[in-house]
Amino acid sequence: MTARSITVADVPALLAGAEFFSTSAAGEGIEFAGVWLEDILAHTGPVELVAADDLDPDTPCAAVGAMGSTVAMAELPPSGDEPVVLARSLAGRFGAPLGAVMPLNAASVNALHPVAAAAVLGLPLIDCDGMGRVFPLIHQTTYELAGVSLSPLAVVSAGHDSLLLDTGSARAEQIARSMAQAAGGWLLCGMYPARVARLREAAIHGSVSRVLEVGRVLCEHASGDDRSGHGTARHERLLRELTAATGAAVLGGGRVVEIGPSVRQAGTVYPGNPVGMVVHDHDSGRLIRLEAHNELVLALSDGALAAAVPDLLCLLDRSTLRMTGPERLTAGDQVDVLCVPAAPVWHSVAGLALGGPGAFGFPLRHPREEGR
Amino acid sequence: MKRAGRPAEQLTVDELVRYGPLGHAEMLVGENLARPVSRVALVSDLDQVRRCGPGTAVVLTGGLALGAWAVESALRLAWERSAACLVCPAVTGLTQASAQLARRMRLPVFVVTGDTAACALELAAAIASPEAARARLAARCAELFAERSNVRGIVGVINSEVPGVLVALVAPDGHVLAGQASADRAEHRIRVDVPGPDGRRWAELVAAVAGPPSPTWGETVRLILRLARAPLAASVARERVDAVHDAERGRVALIALFAAARAAAEPAGQDSPGNGGRSMPEEVLGWRVEGRHVAVFLRSDTTLDSVTASPGVVSAWQEAVQELPLVPWDRGWASWWTGDDITVEQVVGTLRRNLARMRSPIPLSGGVGRVAAGAEGLRESLSQAVLAAGVTVRDGHGTVRSFDELGYRVLLASLSQPELADSARVVLADLLSAPDGPVLVTTLAALLDCSGSTSQAAAQLGVHRNTVLGRVERIRARGVDLDRPDQRLALHLACYALLPELS
Repeated sequence: MTARSITVADVPALLAGAEFFSTSAAGEGIEFAGVWLEDILAHTGPVELVAADDLDPDTPCAAVGAMGSTVAMAELPPSGDEPVVLARSLAGRFGAPLGAVMPLNAASVNALHPVAAAAVLGLPLIDCDGMGRVFPLIHQTTYELAGVSLSPLAVVSAGHDSLLLDTGSARAEQIARSMAQAAGGWLLCGMYPARVARLREAAIHGSVSRVLEVGRVLCEHASGDDRSGHGTARHERLLRELTAATGAAVLGGGRVVEIGPSVRQAGTVYPGNPVGMVVHDHDSGRLIRLEAHNELVLALSDGALAAAVPDLLCLLDRSTLRMTGPERLTAGDQVDVLCVPAAPVWHSVAGLALGGPGAFGFPLRHPREEGR
Repeated sequence: MKRAGRPAEQLTVDELVRYGPLGHAEMLVGENLARPVSRVALVSDLDQVRRCGPGTAVVLTGGLALGAWAVESALRLAWERSAACLVCPAVTGLTQASAQLARRMRLPVFVVTGDTAACALELAAAIASPEAARARLAARCAELFAERSNVRGIVGVINSEVPGVLVALVAPDGHVLAGQASADRAEHRIRVDVPGPDGRRWAELVAAVAGPPSPTWGETVRLILRLARAPLAASVARERVDAVHDAERGRVALIALFAAARAAAEPAGQDSPGNGGRSMPEEVLGWRVEGRHVAVFLRSDTTLDSVTASPGVVSAWQEAVQELPLVPWDRGWASWWTGDDITVEQVVGTLRRNLARMRSPIPLSGGVGRVAAGAEGLRESLSQAVLAAGVTVRDGHGTVRSFDELGYRVLLASLSQPELADSARVVLADLLSAPDGPVLVTTLAALLDCSGSTSQAAAQLGVHRNTVLGRVERIRARGVDLDRPDQRLALHLACYALLPELS
């Protein structure tokens, strides 16, 4: 894999791609981060994006990502110095400075934070991530599946309160979340400190490039460059290009006939509220029920499970040709439902236990499990 | 017995709704209810639905009430296994979309508030003995039939106790005697003949069922209709006896009333017992005798048997004019309107409307007397109404004329006595022997009515004046001289004596 760089010009594509991989719900209101990142990159210059294999296997690296509320982050944005605090904390534990950073998950606002961190720290960004999507918990990662320890977890808040937590993954999550609430709604975290060699098995490779690629497809269509001149044709071409870029399948598309809070009993460990919506598929007449909990969790097509976490469910708004989510939709809107298969490691038994429908409180077998 | 040989068929979902435990559940989707239910499965886990066989009633426990998605998943799995229906607990998230899905799958869905396990137990018990469930419904109806004393009550039992079925009791002429008139127009109907007190077919019970009934449900409905036949016949007999009894009592009371009134009008002391009978009809029958009255008299063609038709006429009258009595009188039926401001025109209008509404078994026409006060006045008014009614018979059903309107002509209506008619036939034999004899007699009557004016007679008969002129020629050719004053009255009377039979 050849090295390449992320410049100011790449930020709109990064933002659009981040929105796509946020699985429709968590991508709400991340535009502020684009402006913020452009500002940082204008000061620091481009960030070098490298494949893990291109780095020295002994290079110390750590994942960077934010937890908490994006709304809170938009109100109380990061100053830009937070990564320095994280790097100092983790380097102290490593006994050596970080040689590279990688994303916790290259999706939503967390696709931008690692770029900013790499830019501020002057380090290369590894083209990989640990989710390939958005999961609500920071230990729902392929790093965790591969046995890379989440802790020591370095966190820093909007008020520059910093902490280095040494504990198990689930407890680290719980404690950090309490702290996020107390410290302004969000935390920037440095976690999964490891040597680059560990990433070979533990990471989903090429994630950042994929975000940029999908983002470019979306940006081309959103720019209003109306080459075909016809709305339906544009929409179909966008769907075609998105499915080609991501390997997604279109579950269906049509009018949103119902949307509202879902009464299902969700596990209390997850932040946010459950939401349910139903899309009436225009072509087949099928009813596609989507259950969301921040992210879209599962899709039932005429009552049969059609797709579920860890696979990604994304909604494309037909009128704006942008990715959308339950918070931005009302009954009557026209959407397409896309399902992007998750990285293969997520379909393993351990992967489904950590990020499958069961982990979200649904007593259902993932479609991939049916044959087992 | 017909039912004995029939195997105990499985209950359908439809039957479980109508008289089984599902009757208390809310029916979210009522598609495809004719499926037989072979067993019940209480499931607490979606995987258990996969093990259900065809015809299962799938009941979800409260543990599966995880939201609309869980119900929809169960719905889909149940559909894939050809389940008969799905019963789920009241989940607040169940919405139109879930119902729409169930309709797409054509799978009935029921929502039970409370414990679904109890519902599953009741379902299992009902399914285990289908005959018992059917018999319970029939027994319940039979019990209620025995408690009802009139036709309306008996038909009402079926309409209220057998859900999904609309029943009407329909007379052979299509008149709905009781129940829901719409039943007779429904697409799917079950019919059972109902005999009258004489054992002959009197009416028909028509049950409308929603959709084609399953054989067992059809049989159950038919059984209930048959159970209703005997109580219906008994109540009809009772009503007829009551009607005849009431009518006879009314007639006697009216005679007594008039006798008393006449006695009171004559010099005192001549007929003292009359005073004793005076108060009887008013008090016992609830009649108003004082005040201003307008009497009416209904009659039919003399050739019809008015005695046999009397109960039918009286009940039809009571259906249309509930507040007034109808008393058999002379060769017809008498009644009267009472009021301080009553006028003959009002009564003529009201009677005409009521005759049009009445479903009388025989054609009826009416005469209306003058306004008069008190019992004696009523008697006079009734005599006038009888005379006026005599004229109306010729004009057919629904005609109403008042005594005042007809004037002296009412006298002529009394002429259709057999002796006079026989004489008239002899006198007018030449005219009658013409090929169009009856037409010539009618024309002659009209000419005499109009003092020989052919244009007025043409208008009265509704023909062209030339036609009348042609007929006059033929009448003269038969030796009838219209211009002889000494013959004119006799000729006029002869025509009127024949008119009733010619019309």
